Amino acid sequence: MEINVNLDSAYIPSDDVVAREIEGELIIVPLAAGIGDMEDELFTLNETGSAIWDLLKTQKKLRNVIEQLSEDFEAPADEIEKDVIGFVEELLKRGMLVEVAQD
Amino acid sequence: MSDPSVISRRMSEIGIWKKISSKRVPLSFSLEITARCNNNCRHCYINLPAGDTKAKGNEISVDVIGRIADEAVELGSLWVLISGGEPLLRKDFSEIYISLKKKGLVPTVFTNACLITKEHIEIFNKYPPKNLEVTVYGASEETYEKVTRQPGSYKAFVRGLDLLLENDIKVRLKAMALKSNLHEMDEIARFCRERTKDFFRFDPILHMRYDFDPVRNEEIRSERLSPQQIVELERADPDRAQEMEELCDKFILPDPIKNDKNYLFGCASGIHSFVVGYDGVYRLCSSLWHPDCLYDLKTGTLAEAWNDFTPKILRMTSDKEEYHKSCGTCPIINLCLWCPAHTHLETGQMDERVDYFCKVAHERAKALRKAVANK
Repeated sequence: MEINVNLDSAYIPSDDVVAREIEGELIIVPLAAGIGDMEDELFTLNETGSAIWDLLKTQKKLRNVIEQLSEDFEAPADEIEKDVIGFVEELLKRGMLVEVAQD
Repeated sequence: MSDPSVISRRMSEIGIWKKISSKRVPLSFSLEITARCNNNCRHCYINLPAGDTKAKGNEISVDVIGRIADEAVELGSLWVLISGGEPLLRKDFSEIYISLKKKGLVPTVFTNACLITKEHIEIFNKYPPKNLEVTVYGASEETYEKVTRQPGSYKAFVRGLDLLLENDIKVRLKAMALKSNLHEMDEIARFCRERTKDFFRFDPILHMRYDFDPVRNEEIRSERLSPQQIVELERADPDRAQEMEELCDKFILPDPIKNDKNYLFGCASGIHSFVVGYDGVYRLCSSLWHPDCLYDLKTGTLAEAWNDFTPKILRMTSDKEEYHKSCGTCPIINLCLWCPAHTHLETGQMDERVDYFCKVAHERAKALRKAVANK
């Protein structure tokens, strides 16, 4: 399945997962079938992934998420854009995010 | 900014295990949502009749379960075991199960599978459990129903189990070994392994009832295997025998255990887990029913139970000299069923020696030493 990430869309956590922070670790717990490939599977996000996840929850356009991350991490937006798009693609493939089209 | 990543992990591999190793965090808890059961197993420590209206009336509601689960999530719980009695007896089982899933808890369900319906299958397919564990009491109708004392239960069990397996629900099978089914343990093991390739376990030690019912306790005693029978069963299971040999140094310690503070409790209960009974009573583990160790969650909060009440239990000590000379420092305690909870169910005290447990532990130690020496 081809996934096209649109900078003018918002990508929010799917209803099929529940994100839990336990002892400082962000754990994504699959709620519905089909999220993981293995039995007994959970997902963890690294620190950067967690920062992106927190911003995605605010339902901002991806373009604005990247701008915010660029400010927070004091890094050029074009560098961050590549990483964020790759990350969002990965989460979309796994069914952990859904696209919300913006007006 | 470093590369963002999502990492897929098996549950046993997530990093929080390391982070909590020196902390008290209730990563898992059990919810015994009913004490009632459709079966009447000879060895059961909890079951009450399915139609027991008093027990049913005392069962905590979906709302109370939801409130307790919310608090558990707040305290850091990730895994929940839904057990009973037979949890599927509750008409609101599906509602309870889905609500726990939606809170980000990972549920395992213990069931006898007799009451599985298509609705359960749909729910387990849509919202998969971590595990669904089914106990196999016999591989034949005669033996199964000798244990369950419920005519028709074997057919119901086979029907329910087939329904689960046909629909690819992940099932783990296990057995209790007792005198009534001992002659069939090989067949039970085969039955289980043919259906679930990766998992089979059996428990050969029965413990007493939580309600101290003298008639039922006598039935349980009469079903207990002898120490020699237990060891023979364990040695005959290659996986179990190998595991025990590999962990021999942990099972048989070179010296008596040092317990300078005289604490009674030394397990993970109250450190990383707790139990909530069908009536909303909080306990450290499923076997701990001492009145000084119960906390009513219908009138108090889980945070109080975990943060204030539990540490007091964990600091309980014994001043009985005999205890400190025997079970309190015993180097083969890890081969024994002894713990304050089990000994309380046997004797009414939390620091008594239990002759049967002691004999089983020594028989196990003898067999283990012999097996390791012969390697």
